[in-house]
Amino acid sequence: MVGQLRVMMLTWEFPPRIIGGISPHVYYLSKNLAKNGVNVYVVTCDFPGAPDHEVVDGVEVFRIDSYKNPSPDFASWVYLMNMNMQKEAASIVKNLGGVDIFHAHDWLVANAGIGLKHVFRRPLLATIHSTEIGRRNGLHSDYERMIHETEAWLTYEAWRVICCSNYMVSHVKWAFSLPEDKLVMIPNGVDVKEYEKSTVDLNQFRRRFALPEEKIVLFVGRLVYEKGIQVLINAVPKILEKVNAKFVVVGNGYMKEPLWEHVKRMGLTHKVLFTGFVDDETLRNLQKCADVSVVPSLFEPFGIVALEAMAAKSPVVVSDTGGLSEIVEHDVTGVKIYPDNPDSLAWGVTRVLLDESYANRLRENAYHMVVEKFNWEKISQQTKGVYERVLSEYSRTFWA
Amino acid sequence: MRVIVFSWEYPPRVVGKLANYVRELSLRLAKDGGVETFLITYHDYWTGEFEEEGVKVCRVTNPVKTHISVLTWVLTLNQEVERAAANIYYKSGKLIDLIDVQDWHFIPAAVTLKKAFGIPFVYSVESLEDHRSHGANAPFNMAIKSIEWLGTYEASVVLVKSDWMASEVIRAYKVPEAKVKVVNPETKHWFEDILKVYKGVMGEFR
Repeated sequence: MVGQLRVMMLTWEFPPRIIGGISPHVYYLSKNLAKNGVNVYVVTCDFPGAPDHEVVDGVEVFRIDSYKNPSPDFASWVYLMNMNMQKEAASIVKNLGGVDIFHAHDWLVANAGIGLKHVFRRPLLATIHSTEIGRRNGLHSDYERMIHETEAWLTYEAWRVICCSNYMVSHVKWAFSLPEDKLVMIPNGVDVKEYEKSTVDLNQFRRRFALPEEKIVLFVGRLVYEKGIQVLINAVPKILEKVNAKFVVVGNGYMKEPLWEHVKRMGLTHKVLFTGFVDDETLRNLQKCADVSVVPSLFEPFGIVALEAMAAKSPVVVSDTGGLSEIVEHDVTGVKIYPDNPDSLAWGVTRVLLDESYANRLRENAYHMVVEKFNWEKISQQTKGVYERVLSEYSRTFWA
Repeated sequence: MRVIVFSWEYPPRVVGKLANYVRELSLRLAKDGGVETFLITYHDYWTGEFEEEGVKVCRVTNPVKTHISVLTWVLTLNQEVERAAANIYYKSGKLIDLIDVQDWHFIPAAVTLKKAFGIPFVYSVESLEDHRSHGANAPFNMAIKSIEWLGTYEASVVLVKSDWMASEVIRAYKVPEAKVKVVNPETKHWFEDILKVYKGVMGEFR
């Protein structure tokens, strides 16, 4: 390898296109890799108003036409989008005079990543953020099996598979029968500096959401079953018995309507506020105002929202499951509760809200842990280390 | 001359009329055309490289077994076609003169290889989705048509078997007339005519 390391990132979302967690993940990872002297080329789907080609924080971004082909369903759209992505990426690589590594994020770019690997004979890395078998809690149709097999194909073709938590490492190893030494754990990160930017008066800001005498209990996430929002709603009366609070629920999902009906029937509409999707700045300010942040997930590959709350210095109460179990040390950096248990959740929340010195201790410990363990600078160095290891192994193969 | 032919059917896998035509073409290329002929096709389990009647055949299978339609089936198979073609490319000193894509199935692979290595391709049309689906315009049919369109757009030559098909290709995908060549396989000099088309493409591309 001559000169700087050249990596092509393949991702179906990159800011300003934000659908889930992959978009910010690839953004921060790429930006920090670029800071560490890696040439990063991101190939991603287009977005209204975003340019086809630009340089963002040292990262070269290419946006491809992703809605060119009519598609009967989401999975077919994904495969057709991959056809276009691969075609465009092939031209880009040719014009660049080659890249060293392809790095694909989830099955959504599997075809493009695998094709490019063979055409240019360069190693492919895959980060598996989530799995179909985990999201659906099993495989129930040909559609789901097809996606599962596509994920398996990607992990098979990848030189290494990166997961964001030990939980995901063991889950992915089980789901696709992978050998242990193919898997690498590199955590997700949070940029604490993003929380220091805002100039808004938080006392003023807070009034938009709660009365001055109310504590703010914050939930952030998609309003879907696996995120456990129903567990929090069921715990509301139990918490209100002990402490005056406002429950702020940020996010959208198919459970929004039924949950709102449920809140109405409980006569608690003045205590629960559904904000829907909010912009990044509002979200960060809310997290800073929150007297406690609750992550009651039933399934959680990583749990980035808990880290964000920690970066905002909000104490966290999380269910003891998946990636959350690894992030939080009980009584040190947060409170762990039994998953799917409103009594346990109510206990955790009131404990934090009624004991200020305990809450402050959690805030401080958690903040320091986030800065030390989950900063992008360190994560990008670990990732660069994986690239270098893979390339040195690659240099001994007949492809090199 | 070194040519790779892509076809989703080739004996012993015979789906329709195309399989035996492609075999005939490949044999003639190898025997009478002085062409080093590679053929990449699909087979469920009989995979690998074979030397058959002078033709270097490579059969690949689909890495994803469960599918919801022929469309998704085709789209995950294309990467295996690319892998097989890339293997030929690297083993032969990076010299492939031309790819002949029989029908729409492996157009995505041909387009990627064109972008990556600058190998021109001929899109040989056996049939069109517009006829197969009787003008149906559901998203499924439109998706296949969008792949056929990509083939006509990126190919150096669109090769059809009748004047009627030439007019249909021009009507359906607005292909410039000069890009469409007709070679009727029932005529005496069909093979020589195809070879002429190949040589024309190679000449233009150089």
